[in-house]
Amino acid sequence: MTQLVWNGLFVGSFYALVALGYSMVYGIIKLLNFAHGDLYMLGAFTGFAVLGAAGGVTSAAALPLLLAVLLATMVITGLAGVVLERVAYRPLRGAPRLSLLITAVGASFALEYGTRAVAGADPRVYPVRLGGTPLEVLGARLTLQQLVLTAVAVVLMIGLNLLVTRTREGRAMRAIALDPRTSALMGVDVNAVISRTFFLGSALAGAAGVMAGAYYGKIDFLMGFLIGLKAFTAAVIGGIGNIPGTMLGGLLLGLLESFGTFWLGGEWRDVFAFGVLILFLTVRPTGLLGERVTERV
Amino acid sequence: MRATPLKSLASLTLAVLLLAGCGQGLLGGGDEAATGEGPIVLGMLIPQSGSEAAIGPYMSNAAQLAVDEINAKGGVLGRTLQLKTADDACDPQSASAAANKLVTEGVHVSVGGYCSGATLPTLPIFGRANIPMIIPAANSQELVDQKLKHVFLINGTGSQQAEAAQKWIAKQGAKSVALMHDNTSYSKDIAVRAQGLLGDQVVITEAVTPKESDYSANITNVLAKKPDFVYWTGYFQEGGLIARQLRQAGYEGAIMVADGAVSPKLAEIAGDEAAEGVYATMTQTPETLRGAENWIAAYKKKYNADPGPYSNQSYDAVRLAAEAIAKAGGTDGTKIIAALEAVDGFPMFSGPLRFTPEHTLANGGFQILVVKDGAFTLQDPLQ
Repeated sequence: MTQLVWNGLFVGSFYALVALGYSMVYGIIKLLNFAHGDLYMLGAFTGFAVLGAAGGVTSAAALPLLLAVLLATMVITGLAGVVLERVAYRPLRGAPRLSLLITAVGASFALEYGTRAVAGADPRVYPVRLGGTPLEVLGARLTLQQLVLTAVAVVLMIGLNLLVTRTREGRAMRAIALDPRTSALMGVDVNAVISRTFFLGSALAGAAGVMAGAYYGKIDFLMGFLIGLKAFTAAVIGGIGNIPGTMLGGLLLGLLESFGTFWLGGEWRDVFAFGVLILFLTVRPTGLLGERVTERV
Repeated sequence: MRATPLKSLASLTLAVLLLAGCGQGLLGGGDEAATGEGPIVLGMLIPQSGSEAAIGPYMSNAAQLAVDEINAKGGVLGRTLQLKTADDACDPQSASAAANKLVTEGVHVSVGGYCSGATLPTLPIFGRANIPMIIPAANSQELVDQKLKHVFLINGTGSQQAEAAQKWIAKQGAKSVALMHDNTSYSKDIAVRAQGLLGDQVVITEAVTPKESDYSANITNVLAKKPDFVYWTGYFQEGGLIARQLRQAGYEGAIMVADGAVSPKLAEIAGDEAAEGVYATMTQTPETLRGAENWIAAYKKKYNADPGPYSNQSYDAVRLAAEAIAKAGGTDGTKIIAALEAVDGFPMFSGPLRFTPEHTLANGGFQILVVKDGAFTLQDPLQ
């Protein structure tokens, strides 16, 4: 039982990290950024390239080195997110919602097949792997590396939450989420804040990408697709636009998958997990912690 | 998945164009093509993109090698052979579109097909154009279950593979077997057949979702049944991850994979430690062929790389196509099919060829490989 919970939480923390970017962007400019899963993929490949450039490393130095690579990748993926927003989304800011959605799908394809053109269609394998010695905790088998990865994910999420709720920057973000025009009138630089939002969301996705690459080992240009969908789902369960809700949503989805597999077998996992979600959303359409959207004219 | 509407639209358009073409162009021009001059065109559907893209070049390079050798000896019936490849991306929609493309380009014989799930929808497309198919790698039983006259498999079938697996499991003295598959046509076929042969020995059959990274939930399920033998019947990407995650979860029994997972990448993904000692049910590979040194040397010289999985079958598919066209005296599909059915003792890497009434190999030729120092080597020929 504890093993199932741990499996679910571990996978769920990846979903949550990726879902946060979805949720933030949606919360602020009401855009479903379908290219977000591909930023996760881009992060995995960036980490791969950075590690390759760093050259041969011993496994003893693997963890600190990976943390350095993680930071570098977060910056690079974050900037990629900013560029994406500038090129693909900002010019359409006033356009109908549907055009933006299609642009996002287009951006997703461009990132996937652009990566394929550069890095090839073959899957790549990370040069540094987090294998690690297994520990027994309360009957669950886990590794130190898994704990470190989960801890990193939690630290990133808490950091993000603090940033959004406690800082000036976060206040600007929330203000834009409520009403972009009034925020602009109050002197908030809307474009700059949206850019920074994309930076943060993309950096988190990039971090998840590097962590997945280092832990699972295999990366390929389509790896962002499935997790993008899952993260989107997680964001909706948690209440899209709500940061703590999104984190909970990610963990919940991971747990549902883990228990679904256990109770009904692998074939029925997605049927179970998504069936529960549909039921849940019919009861509570705004998600776990989402607030009822007030009608604004 | 996201691409589905777009791709199916594209294949629909192609199909419509094709049907329109059939009305006048293809049927009317058929005689001309059958007796006419110009090169004889062999079409080859292989994965050049997507998850199985690593296999594509092994197959197309070897096929091209056979084409070049045959052309150097004067071609077939005085005409040169030409190879046209198209990308099926191991995806049914892309494969249908690519098959239609090959048909409109006027191929005479198809010598491709790696992923069974992607090859399946192409059968009627080639069938309608009366193009014989010599399928070098795809081997789900579903491909021959429809008893289509134009479909020939030169790789062992799923049931032959399951038999080989059962023999090896018995030889190892394993008591409780866990089967894992990915719900694709090819993978499920082997698992279901193995389950039929092994009966009560199978303690769990677990289906996983392909293209994910984390299989820990499935593995927890499998290990809860305490198997001493795990047989993965899917492809190499998931195979590598599953082998690694099984070992990480503390599993110490034997792991075996089916032929779709035989790739140097499997060991790379699993990591050397986890991959060591992984068995595989596999037909002849370049490494296990006897008397193939000259062929391997020729391949290396031409491509500056080693041949890989299904290189030999692809090479043989081209040679067999050339032989059948020569026997048929032209490129008429019906005559080529008759010539293929009449083949008896044609020398191939897998041994002298004769087709069963179902158009499969009389002997699958499966053997057991094992990963040693990161590479698949022969463990037991199972003869």
